Formats: sequence, structure tokens, C-alpha cells
Amino acid sequence: MLNQNANSRWDVIVIGAGVVGCAIVRRLCLGGAKVLLLERGADILSGASKANSAILHTGFDAPPGSVELNCIQAGYKEYLDIHKRLNLPLLQTGALVVAWDQEQLSTLDEIVEKAHQNGVDDVAQIGKSELHAREPNLAEHALGAARVPGELVIDPWSSPLAYLTQAKLEGAEYRFNAEVNGGEFDGNSWQLSTTQGHFNAKLAINCTGNQGDIVERICAEPQFKIRPRKGQFLVYDKSAANLISSIILPVPTKITKGVVLTKTIFGNLLLGPTAEEQEDRNEAPVTTEKLEELIVIGTKMLPALSAHGVTATYAGLRPATEHKDYQIHAQPEKNWIGVNGIRSTGLTAALGIATYVENLLREKFTNSLALSDTKANKTSWPKMPMLAQHETRTHQSGDGTEMICHCESVTRGEIERALESDIPARSLGGLRRRTRVMMGRCNGFYCSAKVAKITRGRLEVPLSTGETT
Amino acid sequence: MSELVCDVAIVGAGPAGIAAATALKDAGVQNVMILEREPEAGGIPRHIHHPTFGLLVFHRPMSGPKFIARILSKCRNVQFEFNASVMEIKPEGILNIATPEGGKIVKAKHIVLATGARERPRHPRLISGLRPQGIMTTGALQKFIYGETLCPFKRPVIVGTELASFSALSTLKSGGAKAVAMIEENPRITAYRPAMCFAAIMGTPIHYNSRIVDIGGMNQVEYVRVKDKNGTRQIDCDGVIFSGGFVGETALSINSHLEHHPVSHLPLVDQNWVSSDPQISIIGNCVHPADMGDQCYMEGLEAGKHIANLIKNPRATTNQDLFHISHDSRIKMLTPSAVRIKDDDTGELTIHLHVRVPFWGKILIRQADQVLYSKTHRCLPARRITLKNVPISSHPRLNTESHFSPKIEIILGTA
Repeated sequence: MLNQNANSRWDVIVIGAGVVGCAIVRRLCLGGAKVLLLERGADILSGASKANSAILHTGFDAPPGSVELNCIQAGYKEYLDIHKRLNLPLLQTGALVVAWDQEQLSTLDEIVEKAHQNGVDDVAQIGKSELHAREPNLAEHALGAARVPGELVIDPWSSPLAYLTQAKLEGAEYRFNAEVNGGEFDGNSWQLSTTQGHFNAKLAINCTGNQGDIVERICAEPQFKIRPRKGQFLVYDKSAANLISSIILPVPTKITKGVVLTKTIFGNLLLGPTAEEQEDRNEAPVTTEKLEELIVIGTKMLPALSAHGVTATYAGLRPATEHKDYQIHAQPEKNWIGVNGIRSTGLTAALGIATYVENLLREKFTNSLALSDTKANKTSWPKMPMLAQHETRTHQSGDGTEMICHCESVTRGEIERALESDIPARSLGGLRRRTRVMMGRCNGFYCSAKVAKITRGRLEVPLSTGETT
Repeated sequence: MSELVCDVAIVGAGPAGIAAATALKDAGVQNVMILEREPEAGGIPRHIHHPTFGLLVFHRPMSGPKFIARILSKCRNVQFEFNASVMEIKPEGILNIATPEGGKIVKAKHIVLATGARERPRHPRLISGLRPQGIMTTGALQKFIYGETLCPFKRPVIVGTELASFSALSTLKSGGAKAVAMIEENPRITAYRPAMCFAAIMGTPIHYNSRIVDIGGMNQVEYVRVKDKNGTRQIDCDGVIFSGGFVGETALSINSHLEHHPVSHLPLVDQNWVSSDPQISIIGNCVHPADMGDQCYMEGLEAGKHIANLIKNPRATTNQDLFHISHDSRIKMLTPSAVRIKDDDTGELTIHLHVRVPFWGKILIRQADQVLYSKTHRCLPARRITLKNVPISSHPRLNTESHFSPKIEIILGTA
């Protein structure tokens, strides 16, 4: 077992199947590389990438000249280029950076100026009356806003799944439940040891999010420290989604972008995140106290929210570091690239980061890896199941099977297909993210028993302990 | 898109919906259709196997499945459409539905919403902790054990002490599992006191004045932490059942043109179960989460008779004269939540209500400056409180006000 993978079957091992890892695997496969993806969780998106605000950012407020800005804007552009071919949805909301007091109002100028400096030319300031005409449900003390028409809402889970699915069709391989816990570089290739044995490849790329500095140490002492930052969110019932039409962003502070109100692609209204520094890299519990604080903040901005129910609560950990910018470092002499400190903008930037990494490989790693010309136009484009509320869902055309989850309108056929797809769901979380099943307002009251029956023997952690006795 | 046409379309085949269909057919209405999203009729009682049904309707206790079989045998010549999920209700008697063959439109002279209730699950309760598997409501547990003969865990805790919480205890026993604790925020159980004996017989301790403050476990639930006046302690378990705390299944009405009560956020219904749209009635636990199945059935019969009358005399209801009954948030909900009064109407109302917090004192009903009702009640949460013989009329108009003031208000006073 231990040495069965000892020959370098792979050019590159990508460690970590978050959105960044999936995008990099795709990019390198399109460049003709043989890539293996190692993930310690039971599915892709088991870490930082499973919980975010699902916004496609323009980069209007990113630090000018930063790697982050470069990757956000490249990622934004590529997403718009490819999303239709992958059947990925897009909700054209635009965003409003709303000023809630005079002090914030006085900073809108700077926000607009910075946006223009970042090349986001369509950002403009709007006055109070236009703001309230656009968003009549906002509280009276909304004084004005910077309008960012290009900020959009996407599906945060189908997108990375699409990237990896496309990579798989191009020959990529992946191993789940394979936690990398060490490795050796012999001058030519890496041998990485994992909980599923050893794997060899010429190059290794570390995209392990909140484990970034730990895994980086396999190669060299990292120049950064991961400081996990917890963000809690509330998902409001679909009845609340139409209270806003744009993404409502706060005027940012140095620590965080602040609390956002946004529609989700699935037809809910999302409120969050909090920004809480913590030591633990793995567990992100929600807390009653912070959720209640979020409700107070949300209701202050949008008073009508109080009439609507909460569907879900969740928390994510963003892999922040002590640095402002991403920590993407190439070490050509050790055939290693670290892709770290990809905090809240990772969903947008992922495709751009992948291109950035590809360019690093083409410039600095020519001795160890020769990438061919990208064959983006010749590749196959897998069609992802459409889960967006504003697009045609399976139940509308009918697939001959009954609806299992009524809150989220998921048919038995959709569940079966997710269990048999190119990258099949093997965990409940994976199944939920692929189909929306059990994600609705009843928290699985109607469908969890049926899902337990359908998935029996097909998930790593079953939903039942067995037949009743 | 294909179209289904009927006289009355009933959404939901639980006790209330079945009763409405039965009464409509008995009154001679031609085409009565029940749209049910599950593959069979019966609703929640299908999965409740203890004998808490039948006393009011059949004068003897029976299990949920037996009760459903009995009431279905009285419901003849009704068209059941199973696996039909209503996606949207629209004015003028139109429903959009989803079926395995795709979307369809239903057109009816009258629509009845009888979509029932469910318990408030983990997330809307804003409970702290992680999100492992094994967290569900009593209703979900019943579907596991009675619906699919699967057991989701072996030693869960139950949060709450309502009737549903003790139903969870009994359901667990049927599934070969046992609750390690019941957790109650108050100093007494919410259900009737004898239920405590049942917990004692099952060997499950009840922790009073206690709140669940954390859920732990990466894959499956491993523990909960419970806080009381002595501090916080850990209870090892493999599941958490959130029981009771019923909410109406109002997803359809909330996303529609129907009006809702400003306090309960439940759809307004008048004394004849007609909503703000005269072509739509709403009955059962959807508007009073949650009363007994028998009560929903009796109400469905009454509502059905009224609808049959409306179909024969379509002008009987107009929309200009519906007024919600106002109350504060100590009252969880009431039916009727609104009243339709015409200028020359007089009549008597029976009002059913639930309180959120225990209340012992005078309940006052006022219309303008006139007292319609004043009586001392002892109210506990999760119990139906009935206010009988409340006179309603247009009397306030006879006062000095030249303007008719129909505003009705319920006030919880002091003893």
C-alpha cells in the first residue's frame, strides 16, 4: 500500500480541494499537466470554501496594485467568459456601498476614487433619494451610497465543482480523506505522505486554506501565519429575498468588509458575516449571541426583515494572515508553490489565482514542468445541474420523479444523479451542496428520512444507524 | 403547460383538508380536488402511532393511521392528486403546481389551504454549536422510524416538553432507541403534568430551568452542553430532537398576495376561515399551529360547508370589510385572526388562541370603546384557549363617531 504510488505518475499534486485548489487543477489540466488533487475532507469544499457570501467581486475596494486585485479581476472576467458553457448561474444584482452616518458618507468619495483607480470605472456615488428609490425597504438613515453595478451573485458550490469536473474529464485524479501530513523532496520530485499512503509528483502546490502554514512547513518555514477569522451568517427565508434588489455592502473598515445583506442565487436573503479571530482552524461553531447581534444589525438596515423567518445559520473560517495581500510564493528550487492567505475573495479570485499560478509555472518552473498551450477551446464543458431560483429548475420541466425536498424543490432524480455524477457526493454536506436537499426552511423535516433511505450505503457517514429494532 | 380545472382545489391531504373535501362533497359540490405533495393522504397523523386521535370525532381514542383510515372512508368521490407540490398561489383561483411530469396550472372557483404545521427546527432557534448529523425535529424522527423504518440515532436528547416531546419519547422506543434527557427552559413541563410519569417510566430525566447552549460533534452529534442556574454541563448523546414550538407551514401564503397578521405573521382568516382573498380559505394547523388533529377535522367540516355556500352564492363575501384583530406578542396566534363585519351584521364569535408565555388574568376584547368580552383565564403555552360568545356588531357606529370603527382588540390584563 505504502509505495504503490511511488512512481511519479503525476506532474503536479495540488493539496486542498477548496475553490482555489479546484480552479488550479482545472487550469493545469487544460495546460496538459497530469494532476492529482489531495483533500483531507470527504468532499471538495470541506474547509474555508464551503461558507462564504457567494458574491462575485469586481475588486473595486481591493488594495491597488495587489496580487489580490489582479486575481480578483482576472477571475471575475474568466467566470463571465465560461459560466454559460458550464451551465453556472449568475444573478445581476449590482451592489450599493451604503453610508449610514455622516462620517461614512464623507468616505464615499474615496471609495469611488479607489474603484476608478482599480479600473472599475462604472462605480459612482448616488444620493439619498436615488438610494431609497432603488432600495425602498432600507432604513431611513441610509444617507447615500457608492453604486457598484458589476458586483454579482453566483453559486458558490456548483462553480468549484464545475472546475474540478472539467479537470476530471481532462484526466485529473483526486483522492478524498487523504490528509497530507509530511513530504520529502529529493531534488526532482516530491513524495507526500498522507492518511491514504504516499503520492509522488514533480511539483506540489499548497492550497490548504486554514491549514496553509502547517502544510507550507513541509517545504520551508512559512513567511506568514494563518489567523483563522470566523464569519457567521444567517440565511433568511425566501420570502425576504425581494426586500432588496442590490447587494447591500457596508463602508469597509481595516479589519473586515463588514456585514453584508445579499440575495443568494438560491432565492434566499443572506446576512453576515461576523469577523471573529480564533485559534481553532477546524471548528467554526455558530453562537446564539453573535447571531442575535447580526439580526439586530440586519434589522437596523432593513426593518422589514423582522417579519421574516430564519432558514439557516452557518459559520465559516477565512484563512487570513498578518499580511494584507495573498501569500502566493513560488519556490522553483524546491518544486513548490504556496497559495496561501486567500481570504474572503477566494471564490471570485480562484480562476485568476489559477492563471497566476500557471504563469508562475511557465516562467519559473520550465526545468521541472512543460505546460502545453492551454486548450480551453477544445476541452469538454460539463453542464452542471442548475440550482438557481431565477433559472429553470428540474421540477419545472419534470424528470419523471417525485419531489423529495419541498422547501428547495429537489426531485429524487436530482439526488440520484448527484450520487452518480462525475464527482459523486459521498457525504451529506456534499449532497446538500450539489442538490440543495435539506437546505430549506424546514431544516430537513420533510425530506431527511427519505434522503436517509435513498442514500443508504452510499454516504461515508450514514443518516441512520440502521433499521429500527 | 397543462391545466387542471375544478370547483374547489384543496392544498394538503391532512385531517383539515380531508374534512373540507368531505363536507364539500356532502353539500353537493361537483369537482373537489385535493393536491398532496406526498404520495399518499393523511399528513402528520400517518406517523403518530399513539392514541391521541379520534376522541372528538369518533368518541374513542385511536392512532393516527387508524384515524386517517376512518376519515378517508367518509371522503368519497374526491379527486386526489398525489406528488403534486403547489409552488405558487395566485389571485382568481389559480395555482401553479409541480408534478413528476413537470409544471401544471390548477384553476378553481375556490382554493383551500390546509398545509398544516411543523416544529421550529434548530436553525431558526439560533442554537449555538456545530452542524453535525443527528439534529432533527420530532416530525422528522417520526418519518424516519414510522415512515422509513430507519433509526437516526440511539441516545439523543429531546429539547422541549410539549406533547410532541413525549411523542418523540414514544417514537424512540418504537425505534429501539432511548432519550438520555429532556431539556426544558421552564420550571414545569409544557404538556399536561401526567406526561412526566411517562418520562419516568421510560427512564428519561427531565432537566428543568435548562437551556441547550452548545451542540458538539464533527460528523454525528457527540454531546450537548446545557446551562442552568448551577452552571453549564455536558451531556453525551448522539442526536438532538427539537420538539414542539410549532409554526404554520405558510410558505405559500407568505409569498403570495394574501394578507398576514402583523404580530403572528400568519395569514389572516375571518370567522368563516376565509382569507383576505375571498376565493381562498385557510384551515387547520397552518393558521393555528398546532392544535389536535380532531380539532382540525371539525374545523375543516365547518369551513367546507361555508365554501359550498359561497359557491352557490358567489356574492356572499366581499373584500372590503376584513379587519384583523389586534393583540400583543404574548398571544402567539388566534383564529379567527380577522373579522368580516357588514354594517348591519350582528353575530357571535368563538375565538381560539394560544399564548407564548403563561398568563393568568383577565382577557378583555374591545371594539372601539365598547367591551365585548371580559373573563379571567388561566393560559399556558401550547394549549388551545377558547373565548366563547363574543358578540360582534356594527354598534360602535351608533356612538358619537360618524365613522364606523370596526377595530377589535384583545387585551391581556391583570387578574
